[in-house]
Amino acid sequence: MKNFNRRDTLKLGAAAGLTATVPSHVYADTLLKVGAVYVSPVSEIGWTKQHSLGIEAIQSEFGDSVDVTVLDNIYVPQDAERVFRELAAAGNQLIFGTSFSHSTPIQKTAPRFPDVAFEHCSGLVHLDNLGTFEAKYYEGTYVAGITAGHVSKSAKIGFIGGFPIPDIVGPANALLLGAQSVNPDITCSAIFLNSWYDPGKENEATKTLISQGCDVICSMTDTATGVQVAGENDAWSIGYASDMSQFGNGKHLTAFTLNWAPIYVQAAKDVVNGTWKSSTRWLGFNGDVVRMSPFNDSLSADVIAAAEKAMSEIKSGDLHPYAGELKAQDGQVRVQAGSVLPDQEIRGFNWFVEGMIGNLG
Amino acid sequence: MLRIEALPEPSRTMALAAPLIATGITILISSLFFLSLGFNPIDTLHGFFVQPLMSLNGLSEWLLKASPLIIIACGLAIGFRANVWNIGAEGQLILGAIAATGIGLFAPWQDSVFLLPSMIAGAIMAGMAWAAVPAFLRSRMNTNEILVTLMLTYVATLFLSYLVHGPWRDPAGFNFPQTALLPYKATFSVFDHSYRLNSSIFFAIAAVIITWFFLERSFLGFRMSVGGVAPNAARYAGFRSSTAIWVGLLAGGAAAGLAGVGEVAGPLGQLSAHISPGYGFAAIIVAFVGRLHAVGIVLGGLLLSLLYLGGETVQLQYGLPSAIANIFQGLLLFFLLGGNFLINYRIRRIR
Repeated sequence: MKNFNRRDTLKLGAAAGLTATVPSHVYADTLLKVGAVYVSPVSEIGWTKQHSLGIEAIQSEFGDSVDVTVLDNIYVPQDAERVFRELAAAGNQLIFGTSFSHSTPIQKTAPRFPDVAFEHCSGLVHLDNLGTFEAKYYEGTYVAGITAGHVSKSAKIGFIGGFPIPDIVGPANALLLGAQSVNPDITCSAIFLNSWYDPGKENEATKTLISQGCDVICSMTDTATGVQVAGENDAWSIGYASDMSQFGNGKHLTAFTLNWAPIYVQAAKDVVNGTWKSSTRWLGFNGDVVRMSPFNDSLSADVIAAAEKAMSEIKSGDLHPYAGELKAQDGQVRVQAGSVLPDQEIRGFNWFVEGMIGNLG
Repeated sequence: MLRIEALPEPSRTMALAAPLIATGITILISSLFFLSLGFNPIDTLHGFFVQPLMSLNGLSEWLLKASPLIIIACGLAIGFRANVWNIGAEGQLILGAIAATGIGLFAPWQDSVFLLPSMIAGAIMAGMAWAAVPAFLRSRMNTNEILVTLMLTYVATLFLSYLVHGPWRDPAGFNFPQTALLPYKATFSVFDHSYRLNSSIFFAIAAVIITWFFLERSFLGFRMSVGGVAPNAARYAGFRSSTAIWVGLLAGGAAAGLAGVGEVAGPLGQLSAHISPGYGFAAIIVAFVGRLHAVGIVLGGLLLSLLYLGGETVQLQYGLPSAIANIFQGLLLFFLLGGNFLINYRIRRIR
């Protein structure tokens, strides 16, 4: 790799200017430099893996004309800011931050490099050159919750989350609401690890939930530990981000998987064409960002049909996972019957619905 | 047959040669390792040790990252010399950062020029207070300070988590677990707006000078070192062991608290659930790589900081996975610390 000086940057600028006038499928030598920062190590499955698939989609779209630099396992803010600065200074035109933990660092870096396009997954603040994108995980957990409601014999399910941030708390609520749509008496115990990647802690948390009687485990972290430990202990599991059925010992009900590829490729195309603008994207089943992986074979056709029906109703807008009446943990009504929770409150979710056990610590 | 013998006194030749031998072995083994993975060893080593320092920004980042390591290691070395094992600098750093942020965000004297100085004083006192708990328990009840300091680190982490998820959460921050940004007056000024290095680097320099003076030139420092090497002799000479415990732990706590304000009023600018990439633990390695000597600690801190930056550079430049970079860092530190064995022992062949 060569070092970039100001002249190279000018040349690149000129190249980018030129390409705006030629058809976009004719790509020059190195037309685009893309940087990505991952919050955990890339493994076979999980959150970071799905982001690396997005980067791979850019590579297969552009072939040799794209130059990709990736850094993994960067989650402490001081380090993240340095890495974002280095990527921007090294001439990357499009830089992806892939974790809520990257929020402040990417917000501090973006204004210093106004010509670089920054894309931040899970971010909420967007600036002139900082766009954000996020998935509607709660649509996936609601559908998964329907299958959980059917299989749970103890009427107790367990949820493990990385951090009690809105993007995790909301889906936990939707999981329970999906299950309660089948059996209103179901409760859900939640544990937060305060880490995205800590297989040891996750192992203990899963065993704790199972010993409390939970017979379905859903874990929103960067590992398959929850699925694996549930399988070893003969409990059902729900995977997150990737299809985790290979780890579930036959007890993997389904997974709500994340498909970032269209967003990554579109951002790259827009940068190449000079049409990139910072925007906010928040997509679920519509937009093909959230998908359900194949349902477990042992689920009856009725259960699968019920889950698929909910999926299509969510797509069409006939069903909203957070439709009223919604009560908080303390029984107080938060959403009246007939209305749904407004979008901005979904993105700021900081309370548990009735039936959730645990607290946002 | 081979036998290990203690040397009558530390070998001066080996004191200088051991790090060179260690570096040589690391380069040899890691080169084979890089080769076996298909990476050019010369390029990779160049990426680790030279490339990060080739730009002004690289130098600024190097010092920025080394400074908390050096500050904490200085404080720890004072205790370690006296066999007082403070493993909980991470927690003391967190308490320092919490105190500094609390003052910076909520003190009524927001517009005063004393805002930042009061944050610094608060951070140092908070770090010392956190270290005073194990000091009290050890000197009064003879508890094991290794366990107490380590466990208080978990308490500190959870306390931080409670604050940023609860009462101190930024009201305008979409419920994300972090505090509001510190006001401009509550942060260290940078030397140049293109770089992140800030005036808190002077604290690292001061810490090194104070530590050097204390360890090498003061009577209290001497008494503590004697207590560490020969506790019975120290007791016979009338040196109180509880003084060593208190001074050793409070020095570590003060230094860690200072590093905490350096981070939160420096590159971070706010508290979140994760404020330290393990500086408190890495500083233990720095203290030992530096052989508990102020000048050695500066070298150790600079080396460890360079290893972090180099680990990122080889990822950036050559696509080396972060795990491989970590293995290389581990190898080097292992041989450096293992090499110290040659200073005090020799291996002899016996017929």
